[in-house]
Amino acid sequence: MSRPAPRSIKEYLTALRAALEGQDPALIQDALYDAQEYLQAEIAANPGIPEADVLERIAGTYGRPEEIAAAYRDTEVKVTRALRPPVSKRQASSSPFDQFFSVYSDPRAYMSLFFMFLSLVTGTLYFTFAVTGLSLSLGLAILIIGLPIFIVFIGMARVISLGEGRLLEAVTGERMPRRPVHPGPRGSLWERILAMLQDARTWTTLAYLVLMLPLGVIYFVIATTGVSLGLALLLVPIVGMAPRTGWWSGTEPLVFNPAWLNTPIGWVFCGIVGVVVLTALLHVARTVIALHARAAKALLVT
Amino acid sequence: MDDSQAKKFQKELNVGLVALILLAVLDRSSEPLYGYEIAKRLQQANAGEALFKEGTVYPVLRALSAGGFLTSRVEPSSAGPPRRYYRITREGRALLVQWSGIWTQTRDFVDRVLRGDES
Repeated sequence: MSRPAPRSIKEYLTALRAALEGQDPALIQDALYDAQEYLQAEIAANPGIPEADVLERIAGTYGRPEEIAAAYRDTEVKVTRALRPPVSKRQASSSPFDQFFSVYSDPRAYMSLFFMFLSLVTGTLYFTFAVTGLSLSLGLAILIIGLPIFIVFIGMARVISLGEGRLLEAVTGERMPRRPVHPGPRGSLWERILAMLQDARTWTTLAYLVLMLPLGVIYFVIATTGVSLGLALLLVPIVGMAPRTGWWSGTEPLVFNPAWLNTPIGWVFCGIVGVVVLTALLHVARTVIALHARAAKALLVT
Repeated sequence: MDDSQAKKFQKELNVGLVALILLAVLDRSSEPLYGYEIAKRLQQANAGEALFKEGTVYPVLRALSAGGFLTSRVEPSSAGPPRRYYRITREGRALLVQWSGIWTQTRDFVDRVLRGDES
């Protein structure tokens, strides 16, 4: 209340950002985007009226920064409540055994495992895109054509980072922006390039795209190893029984090494280890991708 | 009666109504609308006397869109920044029908109580 009323779009956005301090960065980005869209439209609709006068009137129509911040906070709370019913609370009495296996009823675990497989593909694509775009822009910077290529490249990188954010929100539930960064008022080509170069997020986004290749390889290896090891162990009992029941009609006898695995005790042992490996893999996937989403948020949003 | 109490009551009432109003506006419109346009239409419909701040329209649009009741797409505009256009979905229409029914019932009930009708 005691704050002076903002007299320019920039001041308004600064005040709005201050009023939203401590909120989720993704929510702040969305709120700033909406406000900027409205304020610029209002100024465009009132040509000839000084920006300060338009801003003064906006406090009455659009709302003061504090009011807008409150509206976003309230809506966010309600939407989260309505759209994401809380994951059923585990009873305090549930045993470690139950907790270990409860991962099977968590869709996020499967989604995370899927993300681990997918990340080899997306990682390769992102890496190729970032390296190609950057070297093309740098290489052609000497010619005038390098500039538009750089702008298109950064623009596409922002779209990709928005898409990656949406994907991660679907997988982990971590709140990610629903809007891209607002491109801001239309300036000259130079102003826009300068703004892009000065924006730390441009560089952290590119870093994320490059990092996704090694991370994708690691995730893919973990996921593939875990799934194949777990499934192989689970299948040992079936393979062990096959020759005895006549399912196996191959000429070569099946070799188990060590040989005690080919006993009923060995089968049960392998089956149990297989279940443990697969369950542990789901835990690992869920934890690793949740951490990944948080790191991605630091690089792509804040 | 002091003014802040009236404002607070209005604000409480608006909580669910803004979403209903937005759904209705988008349902009536034959073409997709963007946030600023919707805010201005509502302002005109109420003869300039705003019942709610136009800025509160945006988070609700966003929430409805996240819930699948609206779809949106961004289009560049010649007059300024790119605009996000919203269109109502089939789920949105179904929600509007349901909410309109609830609203009519509530309004009639409140009216009856306020008039003191016995029925």
